[in-house]
Amino acid sequence: MADETGSIRFHPDGVDVPGIPGESLLAHALRGGIPLLSPCGGESRCGKCRVLVVGKTQGGEDPGALTRAEIAAGIRLACRCFPSSGDISVTILPGSRPARLTAYLDGKDLAGDEPFLPLSRAALGSVPLGVALDLGTSTLAGTLVDLSDGSVLSRATADNPQMACGEDLISRVVFAEETTGGFELLRGRLLSGVDGLVRRLLEASPVPGEVTDVVAAGNTVISHFLYGISPSPIRRPPYHPVRKEYPAVPGETLGTAPATARAMWRIFPSLGGFVGGDVVAGILASGMHRREEVSLLFDVGTNGEVVLGNRDWRITCSSSAGPAFEGGEVGCGMRAYPGAIESVRIEPETAAAEWTVIGRGRPAGLCGSGILDLCAELFRAGIVDRAGRFTSRGAGRRRSTERGEAFVVVPREKSATGCDVVFCESDLKSVLRTKAALCAAAEALLAAVGLPREAVARVYIAGGFGNFLDLRSALTIGLFPPISLARFAPLGNASLAGALGALRNRRRWKEALSLASGTLYHDLSSDHGFMELYQRGLFLPHTDEESYRSVLAAEIRA
Amino acid sequence: MALTAIDIYKLLPKTNCRECGQSTCLAFAMQIAAGKASIDLCPPASDEAREKLSAAAAPPLPKVTIGTGEREVVLGDETVLFRHEKTFYHPTAIAVSIRDDASDEEFASRLAAIRRLSFERVGQRISVDLVALRCASGNADRYARAAVAALAATGLPLVLLAPAGPLAAAVEAAAPSRPLLAPPPEDLAPAAKLAAERKLPLQVRARGIEGLTVALAAARAAGALSLVADPSPETPREAVSFATNLRRLAILSRNRDLAYPSAFDLGGGFPDPFLAAALLVAKYGSLLVLDSADPADLLPLLTLRQNLFTDPQRPIQVEPGVYPIGAPSESSPVLITTNFSLTYFTVRGDVEAAKVPAHLLIADVDGMSVLTAWAAGKFTGESISKMLAGCGIGEKVTHRTLILPGMVARLSGRIEELSGWRVLVGPQESSALPSYLRRLPPAAFLPVHG
Amino acid sequence: MSVALPIPGFPGRIFAVTLPAGPGGTPVTVGGQNALPLLPEGEHPNAPAVGMEVRTGPLELPPALAGTIGPFAGNPAAMARKCAGDWGARFLFLSLAGCHPDAGGQSVSFGAAVVREVLSATPAPVIVGGCGDEEVDALLFPAVAEAALRPVFLSYAEEKNYRLVAGAALAYGHGVVSWSPIDINMAKQMNLLLADLGFPPDRVLIDPLTGGLGYGMEYTFSIIERIRLAGLSGDAALARPVLCHLGDAWKAREATDASEGTWGDVDARGRRWEETTGLACLAAGADLLVCRHPSNVARLSGAAWR
Repeated sequence: MADETGSIRFHPDGVDVPGIPGESLLAHALRGGIPLLSPCGGESRCGKCRVLVVGKTQGGEDPGALTRAEIAAGIRLACRCFPSSGDISVTILPGSRPARLTAYLDGKDLAGDEPFLPLSRAALGSVPLGVALDLGTSTLAGTLVDLSDGSVLSRATADNPQMACGEDLISRVVFAEETTGGFELLRGRLLSGVDGLVRRLLEASPVPGEVTDVVAAGNTVISHFLYGISPSPIRRPPYHPVRKEYPAVPGETLGTAPATARAMWRIFPSLGGFVGGDVVAGILASGMHRREEVSLLFDVGTNGEVVLGNRDWRITCSSSAGPAFEGGEVGCGMRAYPGAIESVRIEPETAAAEWTVIGRGRPAGLCGSGILDLCAELFRAGIVDRAGRFTSRGAGRRRSTERGEAFVVVPREKSATGCDVVFCESDLKSVLRTKAALCAAAEALLAAVGLPREAVARVYIAGGFGNFLDLRSALTIGLFPPISLARFAPLGNASLAGALGALRNRRRWKEALSLASGTLYHDLSSDHGFMELYQRGLFLPHTDEESYRSVLAAEIRA
Repeated sequence: MALTAIDIYKLLPKTNCRECGQSTCLAFAMQIAAGKASIDLCPPASDEAREKLSAAAAPPLPKVTIGTGEREVVLGDETVLFRHEKTFYHPTAIAVSIRDDASDEEFASRLAAIRRLSFERVGQRISVDLVALRCASGNADRYARAAVAALAATGLPLVLLAPAGPLAAAVEAAAPSRPLLAPPPEDLAPAAKLAAERKLPLQVRARGIEGLTVALAAARAAGALSLVADPSPETPREAVSFATNLRRLAILSRNRDLAYPSAFDLGGGFPDPFLAAALLVAKYGSLLVLDSADPADLLPLLTLRQNLFTDPQRPIQVEPGVYPIGAPSESSPVLITTNFSLTYFTVRGDVEAAKVPAHLLIADVDGMSVLTAWAAGKFTGESISKMLAGCGIGEKVTHRTLILPGMVARLSGRIEELSGWRVLVGPQESSALPSYLRRLPPAAFLPVHG
Repeated sequence: MSVALPIPGFPGRIFAVTLPAGPGGTPVTVGGQNALPLLPEGEHPNAPAVGMEVRTGPLELPPALAGTIGPFAGNPAAMARKCAGDWGARFLFLSLAGCHPDAGGQSVSFGAAVVREVLSATPAPVIVGGCGDEEVDALLFPAVAEAALRPVFLSYAEEKNYRLVAGAALAYGHGVVSWSPIDINMAKQMNLLLADLGFPPDRVLIDPLTGGLGYGMEYTFSIIERIRLAGLSGDAALARPVLCHLGDAWKAREATDASEGTWGDVDARGRRWEETTGLACLAAGADLLVCRHPSNVARLSGAAWR
């Protein structure tokens, strides 16, 4: 006879959660609102929900993710570990706690100066306020605007609380489908995150007033959650969303907090299952839809979306590029928080790495721009070959790890964690896959319409990563097609910039609605040429290395 | 040259009116560029657009049909020089010859042999397509009777290799079966007249490209429209060269005077007919006449044709099934992956590197990689459980433990529930398989009872 | 009346590669062309060459082979002499399959000794194939490279092992066969990796993985055509002669099964199966063919005109 399951105390938060037999420790943590990283959504794929357990439990001793010593020390994967009996103490290990966010808000609006034509009518007796929102997979960002003159009053960001139910969108859709009450839980988390963000915007505003309008740009899955419709069809062929347009409704219909309950909510239309309103907002901010010249727009995030076109026509796709440049799928990867290495140089003779760290402290890991730099530098220094394998060079800076041989970027005595910051061949392979998928997506769009890449006059890079990446590093590893760097323009958070633009000018909002019907969604899963383009990208910089070489040579001359 | 989608788009109204059924004008232009739609579906299109796009859509090599109904043979109608550029549509037709001067007994047994030249391969039937009836008797009545007998015995369309007199007699007897008229060069004029009157296909025989230019023009002048060009080579080498140049003239030069399917009579003392036939299947022969009825010759030729005339855009697949790696025993690990060939090669190489004998299950997912197949709903708990039950692995091992690719760990619960097998989640990367397999405790593969 | 033929002119040319011979032997040079195969256009200074396989380790011989090469099983030197002498093979592909742990696991030094023996038995050019086991080959290739007292080609270098194989070849002046699994991009990637090591382009052959007739031949056919078109169009990394090993033809049931009465004589059929596989490779652009049936050396050589 087993004892009854007792209580589970989570450290360092010190929160007690009543134990339920048959429910994983991760599920207990979720129920208790305890922050615990589970990027794969509890699918036991990522091995990131590591906890130290004292008490009787079963499971979670995955030999693929944990060493024998770790298992002996009581470390378990929370998603596969179940309470057996009695009280249990669970400590969430430092690497498994979500970090506090201070991400980027800046986005450029290149569409040009325009008259101020706000969406709203006047508020009743007070200053009318507008909120522009970028609802990202991992981050929520917002800007509060005085709608009487268009001035920005405050800005804020927050974690998307849905992260606890899966880092990538598919995992969240699966969570919503397979967990009892999962959809409501995810929707509730999104609403609470949005409400909290708006509250902070209002608190920080120097001008009191009444929110009359909200414009929100998010990917299709998030937009579905916000609008209260099931995103399930998006993950199955033919990958169509339930709806692509979301008629404007007051906040109370969506169930938002009183601060925006009477405001009119406008959600950017989606282009397809995996190309959402955030990309529409990005097109708006780039202004590519107003020009005759052909542009490419990359949104580098958890997935990569690409748009090709001009004022007459546009075609877009989602590349299913992995989150390598958001720090995912890379052993020492992390998001762009303080402590993340943001740039790297490697001395070719000694193979020693130099780096700069966000917030100037000791490094704990690598964010996207650091990962990009590191790969480019490893390749330039001849430490890895074109196939992404270590050569004999720089062997002195390598050591063997459980994940294979690894290049030591930061030795443990200089790191914030007391562990080496390392980069393995498998990390490099993840980066290769991500960059191959992104580059191949752009090439597939060019091939679909029959344009040569020389026809591309401008290349816009949206996403926080775009503001910080070193374009030469990007060209060195072939992240983008070989196009002269002078044609590149980083946009930063273009989604937020586009939402802000629409809030300040109602013509822009009309443009957004017409973009939805005038932009063709190209499904890469049924594009016969894509796999081959992808295979061509699985190389440094690319199988078509001649084109990269000539563009790089031109850059060096310039 | 073919127009690109953007070229076509520029000719369209650019209104995204959706009358064609596509969501945007660009989508419609892509459909036209891919040959999947016609400008006729666009009511607002300008006359200029209609004219340009219809001309671009006409096939460079006309279509010629021989025979009727199910046995109809289609020649020509190709659009590319290399199969990887799109695909080859109409397989090289193969005719086996028979002489009209054979004794009744010989004639019947030869027809029976031709009828047997039909084989089942990978779910398809591959067969000789036509009977080529050689007039050796010179006797019109005998030839006509032989034609009727060949049709009756095989049901295959006929190639009538005969001078004008017997040809006319055989056409009289067998015209509704739509035979191909193949007169000797000196009888082209009467045969072309006959073909024109009866609306039958005509094989024009002349020496080389130059000879064909004249002879084809003469046939057209006589009113024969459905033509097949036989450049009458003397060696296999010449045959390949003629066939290639005829195809290039049609596709690269759009030379309407010479754009016809090609035909080659490789019988009657032609040197090394098997060699010539194999090369012509690979290189642009539309119709081949062979004297050999030996299945040891025809099975490889028909197989080559079956290979080369498949759609190259199908992903490269390996045969689904259970693959032994090393010399696995009843307690060796069982792994599963998909039948995309690159996936298979990678996983197989990594399992071999582990030096742990194993059974590798290759699931049929239409040649997709693991994650693509999962996303497309082809690699699911249901499909894997079905495979575990049906592929015979249960007899090869005494345990019931499956190693699942780490990328689809999420399927483990469903598999365990449906199949009763225990699932171990393998590594996400195939390259981690060697260390993973070596670390597995043997206890994982103990026999199950009951 | 004269018709203008649209003969394509190509800017590129395939590297000429020579397989060196021993004293008194005839080296094999292939490549050097600037036009598509089997056509009387452009320059074809070298005809495709047909060689034969000599192998160690057990191989179950189908009926068509049992009577011809069967008597030489287990005696690579005698087989090599017979192939190069009586059967007309212009080069030999010596497969050290017997070193594979599952094929008897002959030792690395034994494998190296076989190489020495074959090289002294005949002056014909030789390509030495590994056993296919990654760890054994990692020892075998360096040993073979050292043991071979005249230049040979090592087969094959792939992404996983190319540093080792190409390094051994470079150190002793041998050539390499660059292998990729029916993928034009991987074929190019392999050659770029070899070039990065400083491997001379005129000592590299491409093995695109040859599927047997009926079992993937079409993929090989198109990959060879594409490799050749790319090489002729100026992609130097793909402008290499192509080697096709026809061994997979003998894995087909159609080539070996004597029980099917309606398929014709199994000897003739097996021979035709390999021949047809080889003819398709030649039509696509192959420069070197490795066959097992002695009569196919002459058959395929006859087809392989300049």
